Amino acid sequence: MDLTAYEDYAETLEALDDEMRFEYLLDIAKKKRGEPFPEEAMDDAHLMHGCMSRVWIVHDIDEDRHFFRGHSDAAIVKGLVTMMTDSFSGLTTAELAQITLDHVRRLNLGALTTQRQVGMMAMLKHLQKLAGARPGFQAA
Amino acid sequence: MTTGIMTAAPALRDMPAHGRNTYDPAAVRGDFPILSRTVYNKPLCFLDNGASAQKPQSVLDAVQNSYSREYANVHRGAHYLSGAATEAYEGVREKVADLLNAPAPETIVFTGNVTEAINLVACSWADAHLSAGDEIVITQMEHHANIVPWQLLRDRKGIVLKVAPVEDDGRFDLEKFAAVLTDRTKLVSVTHVSNVLGTVVPVAEVTRLAQAAGACVLIDGAQGVVHQSVDVQAIGCDFYAFTGHKLYGPTGIGVLYGAAERLASMPPWQGGGDMIESVSFEKTIYADPPLRFEAGTPPFVQAIGLGAAIDYVQALGMEAIGAHEHLLCNHAMEALRAVPGVRPIGAAPDKAAIVSFVVDGLHSMDVGAILDRQGIAVRVGHHCAQPLMARMGIESTVRASMALYNTTEEIDALAAGIRHAQKLLA
Repeated sequence: MDLTAYEDYAETLEALDDEMRFEYLLDIAKKKRGEPFPEEAMDDAHLMHGCMSRVWIVHDIDEDRHFFRGHSDAAIVKGLVTMMTDSFSGLTTAELAQITLDHVRRLNLGALTTQRQVGMMAMLKHLQKLAGARPGFQAA
Repeated sequence: MTTGIMTAAPALRDMPAHGRNTYDPAAVRGDFPILSRTVYNKPLCFLDNGASAQKPQSVLDAVQNSYSREYANVHRGAHYLSGAATEAYEGVREKVADLLNAPAPETIVFTGNVTEAINLVACSWADAHLSAGDEIVITQMEHHANIVPWQLLRDRKGIVLKVAPVEDDGRFDLEKFAAVLTDRTKLVSVTHVSNVLGTVVPVAEVTRLAQAAGACVLIDGAQGVVHQSVDVQAIGCDFYAFTGHKLYGPTGIGVLYGAAERLASMPPWQGGGDMIESVSFEKTIYADPPLRFEAGTPPFVQAIGLGAAIDYVQALGMEAIGAHEHLLCNHAMEALRAVPGVRPIGAAPDKAAIVSFVVDGLHSMDVGAILDRQGIAVRVGHHCAQPLMARMGIESTVRASMALYNTTEEIDALAAGIRHAQKLLA
């Protein structure tokens, strides 16, 4: 499975201290400003529920591979969403099902704030539900 | 009343460090072990007291003592420890009655929290006494805990839920409130202090108007009992609810004060042990209030901790605490207004020390996250008051809620933290 984008993020984060990690997240969010998220997708149908800020995820399928785009009205969360959607786009359903919370833990964002890590884990589950990679659960 | 906890946790009035004649926040801070810790290698600046307050050593000691020296179930054992625990638990009922100036300890029902207290009134008093078409009046400022139980009742009984407005600046207008009352109004359930705006509702006047219209009155005192002294007889309300953990006590213990004649008219809402006089398969006779409403083993250790918390605030004096927090609140409003782009939400005169604000162009969550990295704990979001957010035309706020141990230096750190967030997120 091709996790190049994920590995890049993980290695970069490992090399940074906490303060720099925080700024790195904001940088990721700022870079995405140049790629506007479709306004029509900022609706209830694409909303990920249960977040303190609003998070929208668009899910596309090409052949048997899943692609995600995400957006949030909060900058830090936008950085996290971008990291997750970049990391796990292009995988098949079976590959997505193999992504575990350990992948999220390795990013070590818990040291940044525990809330962010919990949010990332929720995001991973949401992506898996959208892709049908969590049998028995539907995205809400 | 002497209880077991007093031996382990001497009354603070015996401790000179608190400087009761001149309020000394530095000395007070020494009573709270958690305040000396750091987060992210920064001193902890705890401004999230509206969600839950920190605990003084005397409360921690009382809980520890209860478990380690005086633990046995209450109201049932024919042995020394059960007697000691029961005496301590019932002693706290007296302390609570004293705190609220309630006429008798029998008017104090222990619950898990304010939410449970309000649900108790909804499921017992309101369910028994209201019928389809009767009206309940709340305000736009209510916490979800004072909205959803009435919506559940509306769905069960067909009652009508009416909402009194709040002004743009957070003021509560008594005339507009009075205009919502009708001859069908059977219950007025209002917050004492808004958990978002800090607005202090004139609950005595609200009670007078409501009772003149023939309505019963419930006050949600979750934030009210913390910032000022409360006298339920002077207010004249039928019910007053508060929770222990916001008053420097443990979690899991709340209080419902109910006027004796109201409690006497109410059926039980939960059945089980401890709330009966006698049980047979044919007929069960219920205990008198307050035990009628305390089915099952109660949170008596938490209640004992609450007793220690009440001792603590009473030793400092509610007036002294209120005066200190008033200074903090004024300082916070000034400090926030001095930061360009910061807009306070809620500026009612003489408000309690709860300050909500939004920062132009920034999401509250981003502001909260950057403050967090500086060791400053605030709450962000809708604060369980989504209808109020809608009323104010906002999604969320950052909220700094102050307590008896906060200092003006911490408020200055908050203001500096906001400027830092603005710089970082620009």
